[in-house]
Amino acid sequence: MAQKYVGQRLTRTEDPRLLTGQAMFVDDVQIPGMLHAAFLRSEYTHARLKRIDVSAARNRPGVVAVYTAADMGDTWRPGPPLVSPPPTIKDIVFHSRTQVPLVKDKVRLAGEPLAVVIAESRYIAEDALDDIVVELDPLEAVVDLEKALEPDAPRVHDDLDSNLACHLIQKKGDYAAAREKADLVIKRRIVIDRGTAAAMENRGIVVYWDAKSQQLTVWDTTQAPIPIRNGLAGMFGLSPSQVRVIAPFVGGGFGPKIMMFYPEEMVLTWATLQLGRPIKWIEDRRENFYATNQERGQVHYAELALTRDGHILGLRDDFIHDTGAYDPYGLTVPINTQCHAMGPYRIPNYYSDLKVVFTNRPIVSPLRGAGRPQGVYVIERLLDIAAKELGMDPVEIRKRNLLPPDVFPYDNQIIDQAFVPLVYDSGNYLPILEKAAEMIGYEKFVKEEQPRLRAEGRHVGIGIVCFIETTGIGPYEGARVTVEPSGKISVATGVGTQGQGHFTSFAQIAADQLGVNPRDVNVVTGDTSQFHWGTGTFASRGAVVAGNAIHAAASTVRAKVLKLASKVLETPEEELELADGMVRVADIPEKCISLGELAVLANPLRGAVEPGTEPGLEATAYFGPKYGATASGAHAMILEVDPETMMVEIKRYILVEDCGTVINPLIVEGQLHGGVALGIANSYYEQLMYDENGQLLNASFADYLVPTASEVPRVEITHLETRSPLNPLGNKGVGEGGCIPVPCLFAQALEDALADYGIEILETPLSPNKLFDLLSGKRNK
Amino acid sequence: MKVEGEYIFNGPRAEVWDLVRDPEVLATALPGTKSLNQISANQYEGEMNVRVGPVAGVFAGRVVVSDEVCPESYTLTVEGKGAPGFAKGTGRVHLIAQDDGTTLMKYEGEVQIGGKIASVGQRLLDTVSKSMIRQGLEALNKALEARVARSKGQEVECQPPSEAEFAAAVAKDMAGQLLSSSWVLWIALAVVVIIVAAIWLSRGGG
Amino acid sequence: MNDLFAVSVTVNGTRYERTVEPRLLLSDFLRHELGLTGTHVGCEHGVCGACTVLFDGEPVRSCLMFAVQANGHEITTVEALGTPENLHPLQEAFWEAHAVQCGFCTPGFLMSLVPFLEENPNPTEEEIREAISGNLCRCTGYQHIVDAVKLAAEKLRK
Repeated sequence: MAQKYVGQRLTRTEDPRLLTGQAMFVDDVQIPGMLHAAFLRSEYTHARLKRIDVSAARNRPGVVAVYTAADMGDTWRPGPPLVSPPPTIKDIVFHSRTQVPLVKDKVRLAGEPLAVVIAESRYIAEDALDDIVVELDPLEAVVDLEKALEPDAPRVHDDLDSNLACHLIQKKGDYAAAREKADLVIKRRIVIDRGTAAAMENRGIVVYWDAKSQQLTVWDTTQAPIPIRNGLAGMFGLSPSQVRVIAPFVGGGFGPKIMMFYPEEMVLTWATLQLGRPIKWIEDRRENFYATNQERGQVHYAELALTRDGHILGLRDDFIHDTGAYDPYGLTVPINTQCHAMGPYRIPNYYSDLKVVFTNRPIVSPLRGAGRPQGVYVIERLLDIAAKELGMDPVEIRKRNLLPPDVFPYDNQIIDQAFVPLVYDSGNYLPILEKAAEMIGYEKFVKEEQPRLRAEGRHVGIGIVCFIETTGIGPYEGARVTVEPSGKISVATGVGTQGQGHFTSFAQIAADQLGVNPRDVNVVTGDTSQFHWGTGTFASRGAVVAGNAIHAAASTVRAKVLKLASKVLETPEEELELADGMVRVADIPEKCISLGELAVLANPLRGAVEPGTEPGLEATAYFGPKYGATASGAHAMILEVDPETMMVEIKRYILVEDCGTVINPLIVEGQLHGGVALGIANSYYEQLMYDENGQLLNASFADYLVPTASEVPRVEITHLETRSPLNPLGNKGVGEGGCIPVPCLFAQALEDALADYGIEILETPLSPNKLFDLLSGKRNK
Repeated sequence: MKVEGEYIFNGPRAEVWDLVRDPEVLATALPGTKSLNQISANQYEGEMNVRVGPVAGVFAGRVVVSDEVCPESYTLTVEGKGAPGFAKGTGRVHLIAQDDGTTLMKYEGEVQIGGKIASVGQRLLDTVSKSMIRQGLEALNKALEARVARSKGQEVECQPPSEAEFAAAVAKDMAGQLLSSSWVLWIALAVVVIIVAAIWLSRGGG
Repeated sequence: MNDLFAVSVTVNGTRYERTVEPRLLLSDFLRHELGLTGTHVGCEHGVCGACTVLFDGEPVRSCLMFAVQANGHEITTVEALGTPENLHPLQEAFWEAHAVQCGFCTPGFLMSLVPFLEENPNPTEEEIREAISGNLCRCTGYQHIVDAVKLAAEKLRK
């Protein structure tokens, strides 16, 4: 069958509603009798709760209820661990400590909720927060990752011997032996600090227990509605069928909107069960800086062993990962770091020693990139430093180490976030790097332009880096595809959507199977009443895993359509074709029947059918890959920096990406643009600044600088395509790829631009202030 | 965090000591103080209006004076909290008589600031606190000069700033100096805490 | 806070009479009192621009204004621009250029751009970037938004 829509730059079906303000977000939900919640949160990062008196708040007019941990009785319990450490790894130390609904005895992070007020309006609820009297006995805070492991450090969890949450060593080959043979060993301390997702929509939830119908309905800004449904049902003793979770339009996810559970989800579900009235809570921006998960904080002591001709013999990386006050998301983030530190290179010997620490900071869970940027930063920086030491060109040292195309599937032998060995399914890395170099005009820039500009006193630099991105991991997703009597197609899948264009790209996949226009395919995502098997949108997996489930379901429906049409048209299936919503006899186009008519015939109201007949033209199918698909790419940039003002201008930005089959290039490009913008933020603009007591010092967009259109450059993109052998569509994920290699690219280009200063960049995010310190010799070096 | 700074008063040490023990003078030097009560020989509780940019509210606090060596030095321990956040600091203040008849005030201490005032007001804290300190110390110095003059039989007009004048001056300072490094900020904050403490102390003591 | 004020505001051509608390934000008034939920609230401190509406034709942050300040004035929100079936040329351009991802910031961008394009019907890329630098978008990296504004300018000039 000729593909018609997969691969096309189709504009998005969902846009007209979004553009006209007609799309429903959680805060748009209005239910008669709805109450509003506000949370009292600790301003201390680490403290014992001595006393909390909510009586005055309860007496304020308009306040319906005020709850503390004590009110929850036996229902109070820490959230379930969302992700366990891989059971396939032996000798792992892991202490699971999960977030609590409301603080009972000890505050472990600033922003942890102490009480909730439920009132007739949000304004009244917030007024009542001031009526609550709290006595907190502050404790010394654990903030610094390395100090957290010192023997006399205060402990985040009193029942543990230390702040060590996990110790995990993964290895391949024999690094120590490789190091013995090395001509050059590069060893550096590399620091990567925290940022926040800053989705434009804060989190929010509307919960409603309707006692008459015995139904709990939850509108939630979650990326994973089905696990939320199952989890809430389990926690409150309901059947999953009594719980409907809807993730409507969600204003950006980027990772932190997947969590099970945030305290608000636990507390407010419990509260609506007490009150029998709908309750809305919408996070405000300041809360978002405290109460929504964050990511990136790691300190690496990394070492790269090479031959004098620049071949990598081995990599050792001892690193500390900050999980924040709790570790409900297991080891996903630091294991991704372990996996991505080997990049697209042949690294025969690898030793990675991971220590995860508890600190008095917000919980860490995946944020677009999810540990990958850190791993990529480590290997790319070490390669740059090695190239300098060896007097080699940074592109050349990469070329010498890239995996050749004949090694795939390539087993990198360590366990990844999906609990299976890290196997690169397919790839062709050298052409990607060459294409990026060609597009940015590497040779010409280095040989002609840069010397000329330098002679004029300008500080211009070039960077070029490579990376891989593990995507499309299991376990599975599912979909149901139905031909409606109108002839339109309905597709339901369990993943949620936060702007990725699923309504369009999923429609393209189904349209190709069923010979309809994608505009006639109505896709529903993120509503458990429509589809209730699946896990969620994370790990760049939606288009791969749900996409292939839709492909599978649509293929089955196609077979049903052909079978029925063959009977109706009295023509063998092989002679039929599907196009324009019709089934036609190939060489007699007037002999045809519409899909809608077939759908009606497939669902007879009277008469007998053959035994075993299923009604309708509908199928449900699931897809689960053996392991994740590995996308790859190379980014290049030219930047200019003014060493007086530290202002940086990115002159050109090149991105070459291989994510296998591209379903919709327009959407893929949009994903990449957004990823690059986040990467630039993580390079030079956004950093959560904590003081030594763990107080966040920049909890607003006035101080936490999300890049604007003035900072983000135009990105020039080329797609190369190496299909994934793991799924019928041949696609790989792309959601996170844009952001992953940007900080190391930025560092390389900046070092190059400031070559006359001889600086070495070993941390990200940088900032104009930090660059100033680097240039004046006040920082590391 | 360690903090330190100094200021020169145009008067003899004994007068400065008396001044920082005079609640009337101190209260007018830094408008915003709502109340101060002595709860024991060296402990005081009080309330003060604080505004840093978008963050405003009443701080309720407790001050403890210790290691008092008249007229040379004293230690202040301050804890305040309210809707804007919390502050906790310990500072040691030294008064050193100078040969030219002036008095050098030196202070050093540690302070922690948290909550909204730290997270949202951060950029403004610096200039607000520096401005408050400068004005507070200048007002004290004016009062001191007036006292010294009075003791010499001269009558000098000394009008403490009103809350509105004070706020206007803070705003002017903020417009003038929006950039400075963060350690200056912390020092400035510590000083604010110490001065606030001094006010509470002297009011209660008086 | 219990004193109520009568306000009379014209929103998208319709006159609304309401009694509100003086502290009620204009954004909350539009969204929750009038049910015009196309205006979104992203930061509540005037930085992200998602809540931008037109106040007597000028773009303002509705999260930084009180409803009572709109008394006697005219407000235009995204709902007045076009409908899904009949998009405004600016909305059409956003659609065609894929300038929308999650769509949360989009109404604010549109409302900032309507007066911009009236004043500057043929803007350069730099002018466009400057014009939208008061609106934050986390999904698109702005590139397709810039393309959309160029396209919209073309459409509107015709």
